[in-house]
Amino acid sequence: MAARDNHGTDAPWKEGFQVVGRAHPKIDGLAKATGQAIYTDDIQLPGMLHVKMLRSPHPHARIIEIDVHQALELEGVHAVLTGADLPKKYGVIPWTPDENALATEKVRFTGDEVCAIAAIDEDTANAALKLLEVKYEQLHAFLDPFDALERSEPQIHDEIRGKEVRGNVSKNVKLEFGDVEAGLEAADAVVDDNYFFHGTTHTAIEPHCAVAQYSPHGVLTVWSSTQITHYVQRALAHVLEIPEAKIRVIQPCLGGAFGGKSDPFALEFVVAKLAMITGRPVKCLWTREEVFYAHRGRHPMHLHYRTGARKDGRLTAVDAKILIDGGSYSSFGLITTYYSGQLLTGPYDFPAYRFDSTRVFTNKPPCGPKRGHGSVQPRFAFEVQLDQIAEKLGIDPIELRRKNFQGEHTETVNGQRITSNGFLRCLDEVERASSWKERRVKLPRGRGLGVAGSMYISGTNYAVYPNAMPQAGVQLQLDRSGLVTVFTGGNDIGQGSNSVARIIVAEELGLDPEDVRVVAADTDLCPVDLGAYSSRVTFMVGNALIDACRKVRKQIVQAVAEDWGVPTARVWMGLGEVFDLEDRERTLSTREAFHLTEERFDTLGATGSYNTPELGGDYRGGTIGASPAYSFTAHVVEVDVDEETGRITVENCWIAHDCGRALNPMLVAGQMEGSAYMGIAEALLESHDVNRFGLHAGPSLLDYRIPTSVDTPELHALIVESLDPEGPYGAKEAGEGPLHPSVPAISNAVFDACGIRLKQLPFTPGAVLTALRAKTGEPAPVRA
Amino acid sequence: MRVSRLNVNGDTFEVAAPEHWTLLEVLRYRMGLIGSKQGCDKGDCGACTVLMDGKPVLSCLTLAALAEGVEVTTIEGLLPAQISAGGAGTDPVQEAFHRCGALQCGFCQPGMILSARALLNENPTPSRQEIRNALAGNLCRCTGYTQIVQAIELAIAEATGGEPENPSWSPGENPWKISHTSPEDLEKAEPT
Amino acid sequence: MLRLPKFQVAAPDSVAEAVALLEQHGEDALVIAGGTDLVPNMKHELFTPELVVSLANIRKLRGIKQAEEGGLTIGAMSTLSDVAASEQVRDGAPALAQAASLVAGPQLRQMGTLGGNVMLDTRCQWYNQTYFWRDALGFCLKKDGTLCHVVAGGNKCVAAASNDTAPALMTLAATLVFEGTGGQREIPIHELFLADGIYNKKVRGEILTAVRIPALAPGHRGAYGKLRERGSIDFPLFGVAARLDVAADETVAYASLAAVALQARPVLLKRSAESLLGLRPGTRDFERGVDEAAELAYRQCRPLDNVPGDSDWRHEMVPVYVRRTLLAALEGSGPVHHV
Repeated sequence: MAARDNHGTDAPWKEGFQVVGRAHPKIDGLAKATGQAIYTDDIQLPGMLHVKMLRSPHPHARIIEIDVHQALELEGVHAVLTGADLPKKYGVIPWTPDENALATEKVRFTGDEVCAIAAIDEDTANAALKLLEVKYEQLHAFLDPFDALERSEPQIHDEIRGKEVRGNVSKNVKLEFGDVEAGLEAADAVVDDNYFFHGTTHTAIEPHCAVAQYSPHGVLTVWSSTQITHYVQRALAHVLEIPEAKIRVIQPCLGGAFGGKSDPFALEFVVAKLAMITGRPVKCLWTREEVFYAHRGRHPMHLHYRTGARKDGRLTAVDAKILIDGGSYSSFGLITTYYSGQLLTGPYDFPAYRFDSTRVFTNKPPCGPKRGHGSVQPRFAFEVQLDQIAEKLGIDPIELRRKNFQGEHTETVNGQRITSNGFLRCLDEVERASSWKERRVKLPRGRGLGVAGSMYISGTNYAVYPNAMPQAGVQLQLDRSGLVTVFTGGNDIGQGSNSVARIIVAEELGLDPEDVRVVAADTDLCPVDLGAYSSRVTFMVGNALIDACRKVRKQIVQAVAEDWGVPTARVWMGLGEVFDLEDRERTLSTREAFHLTEERFDTLGATGSYNTPELGGDYRGGTIGASPAYSFTAHVVEVDVDEETGRITVENCWIAHDCGRALNPMLVAGQMEGSAYMGIAEALLESHDVNRFGLHAGPSLLDYRIPTSVDTPELHALIVESLDPEGPYGAKEAGEGPLHPSVPAISNAVFDACGIRLKQLPFTPGAVLTALRAKTGEPAPVRA
Repeated sequence: MRVSRLNVNGDTFEVAAPEHWTLLEVLRYRMGLIGSKQGCDKGDCGACTVLMDGKPVLSCLTLAALAEGVEVTTIEGLLPAQISAGGAGTDPVQEAFHRCGALQCGFCQPGMILSARALLNENPTPSRQEIRNALAGNLCRCTGYTQIVQAIELAIAEATGGEPENPSWSPGENPWKISHTSPEDLEKAEPT
Repeated sequence: MLRLPKFQVAAPDSVAEAVALLEQHGEDALVIAGGTDLVPNMKHELFTPELVVSLANIRKLRGIKQAEEGGLTIGAMSTLSDVAASEQVRDGAPALAQAASLVAGPQLRQMGTLGGNVMLDTRCQWYNQTYFWRDALGFCLKKDGTLCHVVAGGNKCVAAASNDTAPALMTLAATLVFEGTGGQREIPIHELFLADGIYNKKVRGEILTAVRIPALAPGHRGAYGKLRERGSIDFPLFGVAARLDVAADETVAYASLAAVALQARPVLLKRSAESLLGLRPGTRDFERGVDEAAELAYRQCRPLDNVPGDSDWRHEMVPVYVRRTLLAALEGSGPVHHV
């Protein structure tokens, strides 16, 4: 870590924060509120063609023959692509390139892309789709991960077969820290149980869309609803076999992502290729159904945990075995498999830990990273198991969690560095706000409170392609008008990263926030940033911005001090003006100060960078899950269980989250509320699965039921600020951590309400009734 | 191809489009009114909500050919309407959504804001439950609806001279009053 | 975007013209009311008409009127939100107002009409899907295929009637006014429906113009209960309307229960309702009667895996919702809904 990467937690000016820490509306809020914001599908270019894709009707099949002639002959059709046109394999993780833009030899799930047609309009492209003829030879379809674990033939990915063929395994990770068996042996209580986390998907309201234009100079421009512009650019270069310098990727306004727009997708390659071969702009907008096939959502996991604890509640060992249903491609699966074990080692301390996680391929829509990537599922299982231990030992569940708190500035059992850690305060906050002590166990039957905690990364030091260059880069332009423009490769996907950039620059340079504009996620204009994933943007781009700002700030202060003939320590910049601290009558506007500085130092601007320090355990995979800082969360959920219908209603959810310093508490609260909402939705309503034919069970927003405003409880965001030594002003992440505890907290609250342990997701009313009957020994009703 | 006379945001346009096009398609791809969004294709998400004679309806399920003779209001129509009504700035609902952080990705919000506007036109002081009921056809995936409900309650409070309830993350003060210190405040500050 | 197939649109301003167009175009024409179900169905290529005949411009199809002989006449094109909000309907047909208030979500109730809901196509998880999806499956009995995926080996379509207002109207003994080239006729609503999921109505080629609800008996109590997963948007997983006429001597003089989202037609639960006759609310006998009604409903109603959702749970909810809806009717509360 260089000096440029660490800026301390203090305000840049000794008078304290002027901008940071207050509720600022977002930089693009009014544009969005008035309908002026431009999203990818809002782009219409003259002469633009529209693309529709032919998808596989089978879950697993070999392609024997594709006949495109009739389709090509249809009036208005300009081109038809098949896998042969884009043969290069790719994968977002360079070690697992197992995807093709369009299927080459095989299709691996129902909905896999086979052909793409560009026509003058969508209707014509649709009509042409029906003229395509594809002959398939159907293969055994793996719909059950246990089948995929056992059975080696056929291989879903025969071309990437490793040295040892065992089932259809995508990745296996086994790691052990400390002596697990001895720990379990020494325990006074061991809980040994199985859990299941089902599949769920992101369901951003904006469907994926991409537009491409190819210039006569051979420059390809792709506008895409991606959350990682840089990786799309790299993947396009790789698949199209043209230099990165000839490719410009732009992310317009993005209508939600949640991890679901992290991978490069078929439509980006297809519009690019079609623009190149037709010489026209090309758009592809996926239908909602196609978005469900694209998926990359939460992996279903079958989880087995054994946890030991002493009488006083202190944990002695944790042993996990996890089967991960990966769907048909690798996507980020290598990371998922590590994360399923690596991210469990906080906020609690345990001396021994082992996990054995296996991801298998199945013939289902591919899984990938969804908000809380890889760690929401094990967190669910483990936090329920902690409650089972508390029950066994007769300890209050919050107390049990306090007793096992790992502390600040420590190291986890798997060698991860923990810096700031406000978890205890999170527990205090939810305990107080929910009146836990007064109400838990004492609520009327059917009402209950449950707690859960969690930890999550603020970025990772594992870039998906190994390199020593900065993970975040920014550039500032200081204009003579007094305006500062930020250029950042960071992707604002609705979480507000551009607004965070504005706040930081306004704070550093003493500007009115309105005088900061942000140009983001355009590979031609912006320095590389690795994009919006792993909760990295505030932390990394924030630090890079401070780095850049301090370079120009030094120049401005020097120029003004020289002009005034005072020591630099007397110059203070705040909210659009520059002051002499000892002579308050002497001021300049920022604009005037910029002029002075430009006269003294020439054209103003600076770059800034951030890179993570060396982190992680000294073992294979030890850097995966290593983060410069971790966020911590505790939830208390209040449920009402209707024991006659089995329906669980979440009445309240108190969310206490340690985000380091809250740069903009309103945005932090929005992330916390949105995360909790999404977790509650996964627990109670949503299920992403295929039916017995291997077809998606309900690829629509009618059948994949995300909660409406009347299904969403009152969400109470309680911000805890621990001030991280390496975060920008002490900030950490807020966008993913606060999802984790909502799922187990509901299960734990249901136990408090009516004494049943829900260990299989989703918690459907039918499952609740079954569990209630199992408890009382009442037989299930017979269908007469 | 059919030429429809559509009254959109106060003006009447003659628009030619194939007869099977929906109002959403005509608004977006013929008239360039891209503020109305498409999220689900078929009436499940509410992102395409527009007002027809003041009532919220789904433009993705409305045939453009059948939208003649009614007043259509899209999200683009609120700001000009506010100006022609002699108001300053955007519609107070838009302003409140902005100030409360209710716009994350923003994709559902044109529809959400129009549903909220229709509600307040009909009932200027709805309860929280009535607000939630009125928004129950507009899916939002970002906010958990909390800041949306807060925004509508802020708009109501400011229209009626009441005080909005402070959010849980700012129990001591109304965070939406002042977004940041003004330069005047700074001048008043004593050097430390 | 998911596109509509190509068609022409006609928007006549009289029923006679509309009926003439239907006659002229036969199976190539379809009537569109609010479009909230037909438009998605056309996007799914379940219907690919050449002509869509809109009723939107026929003014006489709108409006809710008190009939001279008592009761209500509701124009078929009255929107569900108007029906739900109407004081006349809330007083004169409480179960209907409640059912209308729970159809889909707010915007769809502004668009959707009472007539459209009565005439709603049946629904099934293997049917209400895109062409691609249905093709991948090899289609189904209801559309383009020969196999039923709900009942293995089944040769009769069991797609579910999913119209919330139908059971309410059945308990209210409503009649439906249809107009065709042969003129106008009025039939009781319970005679409209057939046990055939492919097309579950006896009437073809005629237009539903009005719904008539007879004057309420003294002591009428009505309510609607709807089971669904979310508190909005979703179709019913089970719906039940209840009616109790409590006579001057405070006993139940008439009772009616009707249910929907089971099989192809909404059903009257006759025996179930009869178990309440002559009982006096507030007594142990009445409580037992309610339990018996619930139990009989459980036996009569057999949810299938036609609509999404756990059919065993839906079955278990039948007696719960029957009981709760009866009690809500009695108390003058309702609708019975989880939010």
